Amino acid sequence: MASAKNTAAVRTFGDHEMITPENKLRKAVSKEPLPPGDDPIARAEQALSELSGEFASWMDSECNRLDAARHAVKSDGFDDVTKEALFHAAHDLKGHAATLGFPAVASAADSLCRLIELTPDVKRIPPVLVDQHVDAVRAIYREYARSDAKELAKLLTRRLREVTDEFLIGENRNRPDILEQIMGPSLVPE
Amino acid sequence: MVRIEFNRLRFLVIDDNAHMRRILRTLLHGFGAREVYEAEDGASGLEAFTHYMPDIIIVDWAMPIFDGLELTQMIRQPGANANPYVSIIMLTGHSEKRRVIAARDAGITEFLAKPISAKGLYERIVNVVANPRPFIKTATYFGPDRRRLLNPTYIGPERRKGGTKADVIRQAPLLDKIRTQG
Repeated sequence: MASAKNTAAVRTFGDHEMITPENKLRKAVSKEPLPPGDDPIARAEQALSELSGEFASWMDSECNRLDAARHAVKSDGFDDVTKEALFHAAHDLKGHAATLGFPAVASAADSLCRLIELTPDVKRIPPVLVDQHVDAVRAIYREYARSDAKELAKLLTRRLREVTDEFLIGENRNRPDILEQIMGPSLVPE
Repeated sequence: MVRIEFNRLRFLVIDDNAHMRRILRTLLHGFGAREVYEAEDGASGLEAFTHYMPDIIIVDWAMPIFDGLELTQMIRQPGANANPYVSIIMLTGHSEKRRVIAARDAGITEFLAKPISAKGLYERIVNVVANPRPFIKTATYFGPDRRRLLNPTYIGPERRKGGTKADVIRQAPLLDKIRTQG
């Protein structure tokens, strides 16, 4: 075990200080190597794999949450609460779909996030565009067992993104920085 | 590879999504951690930080009440709490450059974009434990040194003043360091 000596120090310069705080995490650095065959990453992956039996029901729940958020927007219109709920549901799906075993869902969810985040006045978003995104997310997930599911998801998502970009470019024609962002490549793999 | 005794570390996971909290807890237990605490929003996260005194916080960006960025800014207040130096790993689906820069400027220690992987999380934890960075305090920033690498070809404005020593902070890339120590 490494010693737990206090190594705190402060150096002062013209307009800033550089502080080296006491390293309280040093206690966890072992001088002993990992035992042969012990792989913490593999152990964690195995633990996650044992949890994976629950992932489909979690995806059901995330998709239902997105659907409920869509219906709230349709019934109450876009306001701070409904916008945040829809964005948050799509954003969680974008981030979690791959971990839960449905990576092809992430791109459609990402497209919906872009639509909400990059539209200056969300009340101008055509309801049908929101519907198309939510229905696409749900359809890609529902049909995931099909042999051609990933190919269909790719085609569907590409078309969604094209339609979304067309709308966003029109809405942001006076915002060059946002236009640059819209026309850049997606960071979420198809 | 550096061996980390996860059972000697205390984690706090702050995420409003129960599924992600469960995944993070599972991964951390898989690494060998025993003490993993959870909070489901920024406010209860701040309370849990004060109560449990974690070694490492793993926080989501988008959360109700106040988000992960605001929480980080509240923690990085010298003198305002017991450990403003605590390691903060921001885990988020926001991966755009401007977001990464905003998180860095709020004082996070590491950034981990979703989808999460065991390897990605493990590497971030190893980094904060084995390669702690000094903290920088200026009139407008308090947090880990944002300069991870010395760039001898850097051309541009020098934001820090008062000493060339402060401008040269050589940091070995994490993977190289782990390989040489292993």
